[in-house]
This record gives sequence, structure tokens and C-alpha cells, in this order.
Amino acid sequence: MKRHFLELLVATATLLVSVSAFSGEDAEMAKLATRVCANCHGPHGDSVSSAFPRLAGQQAAYTEAQLKTFKDKTRGDPYAQAYMWGMASQLDEDTIKRLGAYYAAQKPHPARKGDAARMAQGKSIYENGMPQAEVPACALCHGENAHGKDTIPRLAGQHPEYLVKQLVAFKSMQRANNPVMHSVTDKMSLEQIQAVAEFAASK
Amino acid sequence: MQAPGNRAIGILASAVAFVSLACFAPQSYAVPSFARQTGLACEGCHTVFPELTPFGRAFKLNGYLIDNLPQVKGLTADNKEALLLNWLPPISIMFQTSYTSTSKALPDSGGTGNSQNGQVLFPQQASLFYAGRIAPNVGGFIQMTYAPEDGALVWDNTDIRFADHATVSGKDLTWGVSLNNNPTVQDPWNSTPAWQVPFDQRSSAAPTPAAATQIDGTLGGAVAGLTLYGYFANAFYAEFGGYRSAPQNFGGQVGAGPLDSAAENVVNGVAPYWRLAYEWQQDRSSWSVGTFGMNVELYPGAGAPLSGATNKYRDVAFDTQYQFIGDETIYSVQAVYINEKQTLDASFASGASTNQSDTLKTLRIGGSYYYQRKYGASLGYFSTTGSNDPLHYEQGTALTGSGSGSPDSKGWIGELNYVPWQNVKFSLQYTAYNRFNGGSSDYDGFGRNASDNNTVYLLGWFNF
Repeated sequence: MKRHFLELLVATATLLVSVSAFSGEDAEMAKLATRVCANCHGPHGDSVSSAFPRLAGQQAAYTEAQLKTFKDKTRGDPYAQAYMWGMASQLDEDTIKRLGAYYAAQKPHPARKGDAARMAQGKSIYENGMPQAEVPACALCHGENAHGKDTIPRLAGQHPEYLVKQLVAFKSMQRANNPVMHSVTDKMSLEQIQAVAEFAASK
Repeated sequence: MQAPGNRAIGILASAVAFVSLACFAPQSYAVPSFARQTGLACEGCHTVFPELTPFGRAFKLNGYLIDNLPQVKGLTADNKEALLLNWLPPISIMFQTSYTSTSKALPDSGGTGNSQNGQVLFPQQASLFYAGRIAPNVGGFIQMTYAPEDGALVWDNTDIRFADHATVSGKDLTWGVSLNNNPTVQDPWNSTPAWQVPFDQRSSAAPTPAAATQIDGTLGGAVAGLTLYGYFANAFYAEFGGYRSAPQNFGGQVGAGPLDSAAENVVNGVAPYWRLAYEWQQDRSSWSVGTFGMNVELYPGAGAPLSGATNKYRDVAFDTQYQFIGDETIYSVQAVYINEKQTLDASFASGASTNQSDTLKTLRIGGSYYYQRKYGASLGYFSTTGSNDPLHYEQGTALTGSGSGSPDSKGWIGELNYVPWQNVKFSLQYTAYNRFNGGSSDYDGFGRNASDNNTVYLLGWFNF
């Protein structure tokens, strides 16, 4: 009886390992993400609070780049300092790369439509920019669907409030390590920032 | 009207009772040890210390294990972790100093006149903490405290826990075992007694109501408990365990015992503890509702052998907490209701209680608002009511006694806070009593009114 139980246990464990291997998920990163990152960024990178960005489906190269800027303290907005400088301080290159890949493979948060008037204003800025203010269209870099590419982040499905906070941080130079985004946001009003964030997040 | 001799005895007894009550005043702390270990600012775990954020609760339930310090590591032959120790120990210090003034000066302990009003405590309390990882899956919050009423460094709140994760139905289950010395000190919500907010700090130089339920801090520091907990899908929490007496320095003895009639209120066997809670999170808001309680059987001791009849206490409590944590504003509300049914077989038999069965009920509700985590205000109401039992609630004691034999106390507390830095807080608190130990006027039978105990309390609190 005891032997049969052990055989069953081994078979179940083997099956579980096989399923895990078949799914192609990095088990070590899944463990790290569940035990540490998920406390703020939510299970599988789908955070509840808009204080913390959704990482699910984010471009791997972008996540990787951000973790590096947290680690070397070149990204200095208040939340980065309060939370991520510490959390990224002991991550090695390999872990940073694999975490980026892990979150890129997670299912992104479904988009949610916002206020109609604001969405219309945001759509105009996102797709056409603000030529008179020399603000380029967001879609040029972030893509028509706001999925981003390489080190250009995915905005679709993100918390709009989080995007607003980041755009304001670029504008005020609290997040000073991205001169392109500073020049883009420099001439935008808070109302325009809120509109474009709501539209981009809804994609 | 009491005879002068009785009055002096009453006042002396009141001083002793007051000091012993002060020892079990609610205590709550936040520790820079965790900031040192994780590299996170205090705001990661606290709205404003000691109130925990959802991340702070998760950090606690995860066994205080998240670390971002270089580790001293040891591996077994099959490559498993045999040692994981912070390169530098997460040690921290807390220092509190306070000023207390009551509406009317407290009676002189020598029996004539009044004491000096406007008491400065320096420190009110000073603590040394080790808080953080101990082993790969074990972490702890360990506190030693010096307080003027103890006159020595004594063991304070301690929670050592093992924590791990499992996946159930595709969702995360954080589970663990806590070894602790104060029922609810292991709880992650600030609506339970050990870490209650607001008004986690009260003056230890001002009188506080005498009656409190067992789970409301009465057993703190005199028991040791082992509990098993699980937190499923970031929403459902369950915990069960038991507590057994583990008093320190009882009966003036030096050494570790034996636990005998020299001790007071010794737990018969194991007192079961339980806790269920549900937390709902939506963007910046979180709301929890829960219930907790314990059944305690106590031998009175204090000269009586630890056998025969016991006093039985069945505590059932309900609590709730709402938090909104914005970038500029933070507000939260906490409430707890505790219902205690007392079956005082031992006290009734020895003539220490008038009734064989009593009830004691406590309600507390309070709310806080903070702007930029810097400027805060809190308001709260408290009420403890129960059976009239003259022998149980000590008559003939000035200040801390009850002339009517009633445990009823009710009142309001307001507080203003200034937090110039995340680890430093200044508080100005005012407590107004409508009733104190059973009465509004002449509550103790020695002419003191409830409002005489209204307290102005100024606190400086430094964590580093």
C-alpha cells in the first residue's frame, strides 16, 4: 500500500514537472514573481493598484531596461526610489533578462474604455500628435495598438493613472533618464496627458 | 465615605494597579530593520507607521523574508539551501518620549495631596528590534523594550514565523506557522488589538480603563502560541492555533519556574485561537472584514494552587478595515467589536467575584486622514461595557478602581500628527472620557470624576 502511494506520488510529481516543462515557463522566475514581485505587481503581473504598473505582456526588453535603471539608480521618480531601487539592487543580469521574458509571456490585462470625450481627445493626440506644439504622435513609437516594441513600452491595458504619473514625471524631470519623453511631454497640459493616457491604456 | 486608612491603602493599591496596567498598554511599532533588509522606503509597508499597506501585510504573511541584502549562504550536498542569512543583521532602534497632562492631577501615591501634573517620560519606551530573515523560510519580528514602569529591558512583541507558498486551483496560497507571545500580534490587519490603529500609542503616565477582554492585550507577553495560517488568492485568510502560559518573572522568582501558585492567571492547558478574514482590493482601496476569538481557561493562582476550578473566558470578535492609499491623500477606518462571556467558577468560589457569569463588550471605531503622508488627523470612539460585578472590578481603590462595580468606560479620542520624515512622528492626542470604570462622577468612590482623567498627550517617536 505504502509502495503504491509512493509510486503515485512520484508519478504525480513527474507529471507536474512535465506539464511545467511543456508550458515552457521559467519555473524559477515564476517562483520569484509569485513570492516577491506579485506582492505589488499582482499575480502574473496583473496588478490591482494603479500605484504599480501592470507587467503582464510588457515588452521584455523594456522591463529589462527598467530593472537595470532601477539597479543603477538612473531612474529616479519617487516610486522608483521608494520601491524598486531596493528590489532591483541584488538582481543579476541573468535574472533581469529572465524576469523580462517571464512577464512578456504573461497574458496582458484586457483593455477598458474610458470617458468618451476624453478618449476622443486622447485618440487625436495619440494618432496625430499635436503638430503646433511639436508633439509627435505616440503611435509612431508605441505602435497603432500601443503594444510597444523592444525598449518602447506597451501601454495597452496599463493603468491610465500610472501612465499619467509617468508622463508627469517625464515632464517634471523626476524621471530624467529619458530626454525623448521629456521633450514629448514638456508642452502637454495635464488635461492632454490624462486624455492620451486614457486612450493608450484602452487599446 | 471611606476611612482615611482605607483611603491610603486604596491609593497605594491604585498606584500598583496603575503600573501593572501600564505594562500592558497597547503597543505598536514600525521598524527600519525591514527597510534595511528590503531596501524599500517605509511607505512600501506602511501608510504611516504602524499601519500596514497591502504590501506590508503580504510582507508579514510571507514571513518577513523578502530581502535585498547580500546573503551569507550555505548549501547541502544536493544543492539545497542550508543557510541564508543577511550579511548585516536587520537591527533597529525605537525611541519614544512623551508629555502627559490629565485634567486633574493624579492622587499622590503617599496618600496625601496630588502628584505633579504634566509628566515627562524620557523615554516613554525604547526598543531594540531584530526584524527580518532568520533562515531560508523563517523570519522574525523580535522586540526588547525598556520602559520606565519596568525599569529594565524586558521581552516584548515577538513573532517568529515559517512561511511558504503553494498553488491551489491555479491560485497562490501563502501559508505559514507563527510562534508568538501575544494573541493577534501575528495578524496582518490593523483592526485587531495588538496592532490597532489609530491611537496605537497611549500615554503610559495617564490612567486607562481597568477592564479589558482577554484577547484585547490582557494576555500579551504572558503566553506563547503556535498558529497555522493560510492566505488564499490574496483574499481569504484563515488561522488556527493555541496559546499556553509563558509568564516572565512571576511572583518575583528568579529563573524559569516552575510555573506554580506564585504566578497569576495561568492558562489551563491550551487556549484555542481562531481567525477568519476576507480582503477585497480595488485599485487604491482595500476593505477587510473578519472575525477572531479565543477560549481561555485561567487558574487564578496568586497563592492558590493551579488545580480545581478555573475562570473561563470566551472571546468572539468582529473587525473591519477600509484603506484608501492615494499619492496625495490617505484615509482609513478601523473598527472592532469584542464580546467576552466570562464564567468565573474559580473567582466566584473564592469570593473574588459577585456573579458566576459576567459579560464584557468592547467597541472601538476610528478613522485617520493623512495629506502627503505628513499631516494627519484621527478621530475615534471607544466603549467597554459589561456586567456589574463589585467584587470582580475592585472597589476601594482610588483612581483605578470602580466605586459602582461596573467596568463601563466610554469616550472619544482625537489626534493630530506631523510626520516630517517617514521614520519620525509627532502626535498631539486628546482623550475625553464620558465614563470611566463604571461612572461619570465619583467613579472610584474617592471623589474622582471620569472627566478628571481627560488626557493631553504629546508624543515624539523616532525609529532608526
